[in-house]
Amino acid sequence: MVDANEYPAASRREFLKKAGGTAVLGAGAAAALPHPAQAAISGTETKPRYGMLMDLRRCTGCHACSVACKAEFDVPLGSTRSWVEYVEKGNYPTVSRSFLPRLCNQCTNPPCVPVCPANATWKREEDGIVVVDPDICIGCKYCIQACPYDARFLNPVTGAADKCDFCLHRVAQGLEPSCVNTCMADARIFGDLNDPESKISKMIASNPVTVLRQEMGTEPNVFYINADHSDPRQPGQRNEYIRVDTHRRNQERA
Amino acid sequence: MSEEFAWGLPVISYLFLAGVGAGALTVSASMFLRGGDHGRGMHVETARYGALLAPFPIIIGSGLLVLELGSFQTGNWLRFLNLYKVLNLSPMSIGTWLITVTIGVSLVYAYSYIRNAPGLTTEQRYKLRNVVSWIAVPLGIATAVYTGILLGAMPSRPFWNSPILALLFLISALSTGVAAILLLRALFHSGATEPESERHIVHTGYLLTASDAMLIGFELMAVFLFAMYAQLTIGNVQEAVSVLFTTSSLASLFWVVFIVLGLLVPALIEIYYVIPKLLYHRDFIIPKGVEIGVAVLVLVGGFTLRYVVVVAGQITGPIGI
Repeated sequence: MVDANEYPAASRREFLKKAGGTAVLGAGAAAALPHPAQAAISGTETKPRYGMLMDLRRCTGCHACSVACKAEFDVPLGSTRSWVEYVEKGNYPTVSRSFLPRLCNQCTNPPCVPVCPANATWKREEDGIVVVDPDICIGCKYCIQACPYDARFLNPVTGAADKCDFCLHRVAQGLEPSCVNTCMADARIFGDLNDPESKISKMIASNPVTVLRQEMGTEPNVFYINADHSDPRQPGQRNEYIRVDTHRRNQERA
Repeated sequence: MSEEFAWGLPVISYLFLAGVGAGALTVSASMFLRGGDHGRGMHVETARYGALLAPFPIIIGSGLLVLELGSFQTGNWLRFLNLYKVLNLSPMSIGTWLITVTIGVSLVYAYSYIRNAPGLTTEQRYKLRNVVSWIAVPLGIATAVYTGILLGAMPSRPFWNSPILALLFLISALSTGVAAILLLRALFHSGATEPESERHIVHTGYLLTASDAMLIGFELMAVFLFAMYAQLTIGNVQEAVSVLFTTSSLASLFWVVFIVLGLLVPALIEIYYVIPKLLYHRDFIIPKGVEIGVAVLVLVGGFTLRYVVVVAGQITGPIGI
């Protein structure tokens, strides 16, 4: 069990270790190793599979989630773990503006994991969260290339790949991720996709949901209700005015 | 191109240099083996240039990669050794081990060409050279192929995600390897003492020049297939390859510097000098200046190919969201 007092005093790496992600180098498929902390985190027989649902009927594009994330992790300037894109389209008066909150999709088939040459990133067996150990990562940026969602970046302070980890340190203590906690519109729902009684499972079952870039076969665990999937680069839509504001240093979607 | 690239010039240079080194190693060892005579074959004088060159570009290229690592740049200078604590199915992991072995073998191979090398008699040196050559050929090919697989392994980068990219990089590596050997020989070879030996050198030059023309032919075919099949699909890959068919500076680099200056022009010059011997059994005569010029063009073309591919892969991506 993770000692609540140890975070944030303990290093992130210590935490990852204690929270069940094995950091043993050379152990091969690290994520496959069982760990006693597993049961403590899940608290049930079946392992949880954490996911997030964005109910965009409620999102106002206020960026509170982006700011909370920045504050939670002291994300260096110019980098983002969590961000909100604005999608503007149409010609007056038939126009729309929608918001698309983004973060790591914690994919079921994460393409970033198998390319890591140092076993520094893995999908946690115990809850499905994809994590990076910055003390193992050599910063080769292979995973950054491999992510179809541009969710990863090179942290200029640690020199390691970095990304959203569903606020693992909060989740381990029974709290919601900070972006969910701060969302004033209740647009973000976090929970266990394996638990049919959880709010997220019920919402997904009772609403039409989509995921991003489904054709990549990554099987994201971040779902959207009412998302506008318009992209300026889609060939069929070139005649329509579409503008995407990524609100990131990289002005264009990757 | 205001985007910041995760992989920039160090990676581009690495892909090029590893290709040149792997190509020079493969070409040198295979021509040496083809020359026969257990260590003293007819191509050995030219093979020497490739042997002595090969380790350096691979080592320098790999060194550039290490310097570029995020961990190295934040002061964790030895963090890259984590690569050696693991062997997994990541192309980069396999490639790390492969390139490490290749560097070792290329150094031993180079050592076997050093006259009066300490610790070995001449006979032992010849024997070592013979044995190592058999290992060097497949290792050089594997290293060159790996540089393409490294990029090709990611569906999120549709421009790179092509099985023919590795083949293209292999052919380019062999061609630039030949060019590097001919360039070094043109620069440093100052006539052999025996006429017999000099005749061999001219003949080897002919074979290498003819081989390079053929390699460039294959390379043109690989590029054509790469671009054509991408163009014939619909969606991400077609959209990605379309950056080569625009008026951007990247497309100009690809067509003018790589295709025309790096492939067509050197191939035509090589064919022009090879034809008299090939068809009419006349002597093979190529001015030193031309030999140097052709080699430089091929090398510039090889670098441009890596540059265009690495940049194009990063300015394109899956379309839609």
